[in-house]
Order: sequence, then structure tokens, then C-alpha cells
Amino acid sequence: MKHQLTVAVNNQAIAVERFLRVARHRGFRLTQLELQGHEELFHVKMTVDSDKPIYLLTSQLNKLVEVQSVDLHTLQQAI
Amino acid sequence: MTGAQLVIDMLVKQGVSSVFGYPGGAIMPIYDALYGAPLKHYLTRHEQGAGFAAVGYARSTGKLGVCFATSGPGATNLVTALADAMMDSVPLLAITGQVPTAAIGSDAFQEVDVLGMSLSCTKHSFMVERGEDLAEVLQQAMHIAQSGRPGPVLVDIPKDIQQAQVPVTAWQSEVYQPTPLSSFELDKANALLAQAKKPVAYVGGGVHSADAQAELMAFLQRTQMPAVSTLKALGSVRPEYAYDLGMLGMHGGQAANLAVQECDLLVCIGARFDDRVTGNLAKFAANAKVIHLDIDPAEVGKRKPAAASLIADLKVSLPLLQGELAPAPWRAHISALAEQHAWRYDYPGDKVYAPYLLNRLSRLMPDTGVVCCDVGQHQMWVAQHMRFSHPSNHLSSGGAGTMGFGLPAAIGAQVARPEDMVITVSGDGSIMMNIQELATIRRNNLPVKIVILDNQRLGMVRQWQQLFFDGRYSETNLSDNPDFVQLAAVFGIPGQTITRANEVDGAVDALLASTGPYILHACIDDKENVWPLVPPGAANHEMLTQLQQQN
Repeated sequence: MKHQLTVAVNNQAIAVERFLRVARHRGFRLTQLELQGHEELFHVKMTVDSDKPIYLLTSQLNKLVEVQSVDLHTLQQAI
Repeated sequence: MTGAQLVIDMLVKQGVSSVFGYPGGAIMPIYDALYGAPLKHYLTRHEQGAGFAAVGYARSTGKLGVCFATSGPGATNLVTALADAMMDSVPLLAITGQVPTAAIGSDAFQEVDVLGMSLSCTKHSFMVERGEDLAEVLQQAMHIAQSGRPGPVLVDIPKDIQQAQVPVTAWQSEVYQPTPLSSFELDKANALLAQAKKPVAYVGGGVHSADAQAELMAFLQRTQMPAVSTLKALGSVRPEYAYDLGMLGMHGGQAANLAVQECDLLVCIGARFDDRVTGNLAKFAANAKVIHLDIDPAEVGKRKPAAASLIADLKVSLPLLQGELAPAPWRAHISALAEQHAWRYDYPGDKVYAPYLLNRLSRLMPDTGVVCCDVGQHQMWVAQHMRFSHPSNHLSSGGAGTMGFGLPAAIGAQVARPEDMVITVSGDGSIMMNIQELATIRRNNLPVKIVILDNQRLGMVRQWQQLFFDGRYSETNLSDNPDFVQLAAVFGIPGQTITRANEVDGAVDALLASTGPYILHACIDDKENVWPLVPPGAANHEMLTQLQQQN
């Protein structure tokens, strides 16, 4: 199932690498990515595809120090 | 103050008294600042040894472990220890030197993208880009490593920043702000506890991380609920507790596994339903509802759904669980299971029986002693046959299962707790993985005791080859091992070899009576296996046992 997320992370290149790594490692295939840099934050809109429940990804992303917020747009899959 | 001086100054001011490391080109300014500083540095003989010594220091005390390494290979050699600390939630600070800022990205000598490399094996990591950021980065690193669910944090510092004058900023106390405990979930949990007829407490490493042994024991004493432990939790449940069933899982005790399979309520206390614990997940505690207590919300529902979840420090959440006394028939059944499946040490034959040796060692060693393990059969025998009064007294590489962990971890534990006896139990395979650290023991006159259970095999792999690979013993024969007692003697460490059962008692006494380091080399039967065993894909009640195999 595909899910769209908007992730706000600190404006550091490593922060983006860090959460993309988590998505890949936890079994969520990236199908779309849009990144916009603002003064202090990157706003990243991403679409991922996986058979796994999306909370297995959002719960891991929320733990990352640089991630400020994770918004899920396919709410029916969230808990 | 230079960046290098600031690193040392901040560590000292935060109460760090010991660090483990290995110098090299890109971290030379930090080693220069260390010269004469009130911070004791222990030179290991490999960066992996430094990493594991820092892990041993942290796990035996609950304090932050600190290690240093240089750029490139120095940092890559730390990776295994970082991964180990990540899997086992150990508070660790790794400081690595990096090539000068201007050289980064030019494939400079000893340059590796350490920040990129750190992503999968740290809780968080930094590369310091400006001298003015250094103080804040170090402060954050120490806070992140120790707060919430602990873990390893790496700080990579380019050489020019170590050499530059940097501003010193005042330490800003950071207070960990946990999410408030949900009263809705707490009510659900207490209702489940009240309804349960056959509850079991499934205790994990979180109890040690939260320093919550007292709170755990208060809960158990109130409820008299049977308790099973993960490898990392061993020692959390006090050994005198009447319903302590020891370790569960692949090599867990039969009573522990059967109790979990039969229970109707599983109270998971700082554990994560690891695959070595659950066996076939779909069949694990299949009739049980789960109350999950953990500080990390990502663990709840990751492997098994929870009917109620308490996301909080266990010190906070455990006292809030109400204490209904577990029903008497269930407790009587548990006692009968424990008696029926108690370990036996009446081993026939005259070879050294490792479980007997370890059990005797456990009964005779001081209660305050620390046992470190490597990974393999001996590690499971330690978990099965030794008892611990506190989880900081049993250091075993759990999630990562790293061979080579034991000897350097024992060094870290001995440095941290110089008054306590530290024993490392290893196998003839594992000990060779970080054998160079015998030099660190010698250099620092550390009285670490070493027990090698030598079956001249990579025993656990051999056991699986016997059981699941048609006896095709591919690359597990180590009959060309060196003479371990002679090897230790080269490092000034005395010891002895034993080969017969009637030598065990005297050898254990000699080990315990030794005032300095000592090596006990015990030759055991190469065909000895670890029982019981839950085969891959099976449920935990489908254990293979020694009795079945003999028949």
C-alpha cells in the first residue's frame, strides 16, 4: 500500500540521509520524493510503498533527533 | 581553549573518569590534550577492544561509556561495538578524529565518511562543522546517549577543529521530557491484570536501563507472578524470588517457555519480542493478551500487538500497576513445572561438563562479581546455569551476538568496578576474536579471570550443522587452536588446563583464589550441545531436549 508522508527535519543534509535510510531499512520503498529547504527546516514530501503497516515507519521516524514532525496523509492506515 | 582541550574538559566536568581508545593521526590533538589531564585513558590494542571496553564499563555501572578512535580505519574498527551498543541500548559516546575540514571529500589519507557510516549503528551522530558548535554538540551527544532509551552516539571531529580556539559555553542542563503516561492505557492494563488467571511477567533489558530492579521486585512480590527473563534481563529478577523461571526463548528453560505458552496475560516489561525469544511469533503466547511497558513507543506493536501499552520510564510505570495476587492454582502449576524441569548436573562420564563447572563457579563466586560472556554455546550455558543478583553483573552481547565481546567488556567492567571480581567466560572460537586485549590486561594489571570452554569447535555452529545441516561440518573444526595457557603465559597471566571432571572443583577454587588475572582452560566434549533448543520456525513449546536426543 502507498502512503504519503510529510516530514519536517532540521536543515542538515545528514538528516535527510538518516530518515531515508530508516525508510529503506524498515521495508518501505520510496516512490516519490520532494524536498524543499527553508531557513531552519527541510520539508520533505514522500510517498512510500510497503505491505507493512505504516506505523512501523512513522514510529521509527519520530524517534530521530532531527525529525521535528511526521504527518501521514493516508490516515486510514495510521494508529 | 582548543577544541581538543574542550573535549577533555567537558568529559572531566561531566564526571567521566575513564576512557578507552587508540590514538592516530587525526585524533592526535585530543590525545595531546589528554596528556596529564585528570582523565584515565586505557589504551586497548584494537579500536574494537576500546569500543567493547566502553560498553562493558557502561553496562556494569549504568554510566556513560566513552571511547576514542582516529579517522578511517580507527573509526571503522569501532563500528561493531557501536552496532552492539545500538542493539542492546547501551549509553556510549564515541569520539572520532576526522581529517581536516578542507580535506574532507578529497579521499584524503585515512578519510572515511564516518558520519554516513554511523547512520545504521548509532542512536544519533554528529560531525562538527564549526568550532563554535563543538560544546553544544558534545553536550547534546552525552544527553542523547543517556536519555530515554539509551544508545550509542558518535561525534566526529575534524582535526582543524580540534586545534582551533573554540568558545566555551556553559553547560545547559537538559531534562528528558517523557510523554505523560496515558491514564486510559493504565486503566486498561490494571483491568487486564485483575482479570488474568495465568499471568506471566516477561522481563527485558529495559529494567537495567531504567535502574528499576527495586520497582520490578516490588511488583513481583505483590503479585507473586511467575517471571521469565530475556538474556539481557538476567539478574533483574532476584535469584531468591520463588517464581523466577530464568531465561525464555530458543535456549530458555522448559518451565519458562511452557509458562509463557500457557499464560493468558503477558506483562512485557522493557523487552521487545526478539525473534530469539519468541520462536514462531504466531505461536508465541498465542492465548495471551499483552501489556507492554517500554520507554520506546516504537517497540509497542512492532512484533506483537499490545492490549494495553504504558510508554514511560519503568521506574514510573511499574509502581502504577496494581498488584492482584496471581491465582494459587497457577502458581502451584508453575512451581510444579519448575521442579519437573529443573537443571540437572549428574553428568555421566569423566569429561568436564561445562554446565556443572559454570554452576559451581556461580555458587562460589562473590555475589557482587561480574560475568562477561562471548557468544555461542558457552554464552547460553552461562545464561542457563549461572545466577545473578543484578543485571549489571551479567554482560552478554544480546541483540548483536558479537563474538569477541567478552574479553574487552571484562576489561571495561574491571576498570569500572576495581573492587569486584570480574570473570569472562569464553569459547575457543570467541576468545581469539579479541585476544590482543590480553596485552591491555597486562598493561594495567587488571585481575580479570578468564574461563575458556574449549571444544575445539565453533560449537554453536557445529551444533546446528549436526541438527539441521546433515552433519556437514563446514569450517567449524578448531582442533589446531593454540595452547591457551601458554598463550596467556606470554602475557604474564598464569593458569591451568583441565580435561577431567574430577579436576573441576579444584580448578574453580584456584581461579577464585587467584589475586591477579588467571586463565582456566577447560577442555570439554566436542559433541556437547546446548539443550533445550527451539528449532527454527518452531513454537517455544516444541523444544528439542537432551532426553529426546538420547532416546
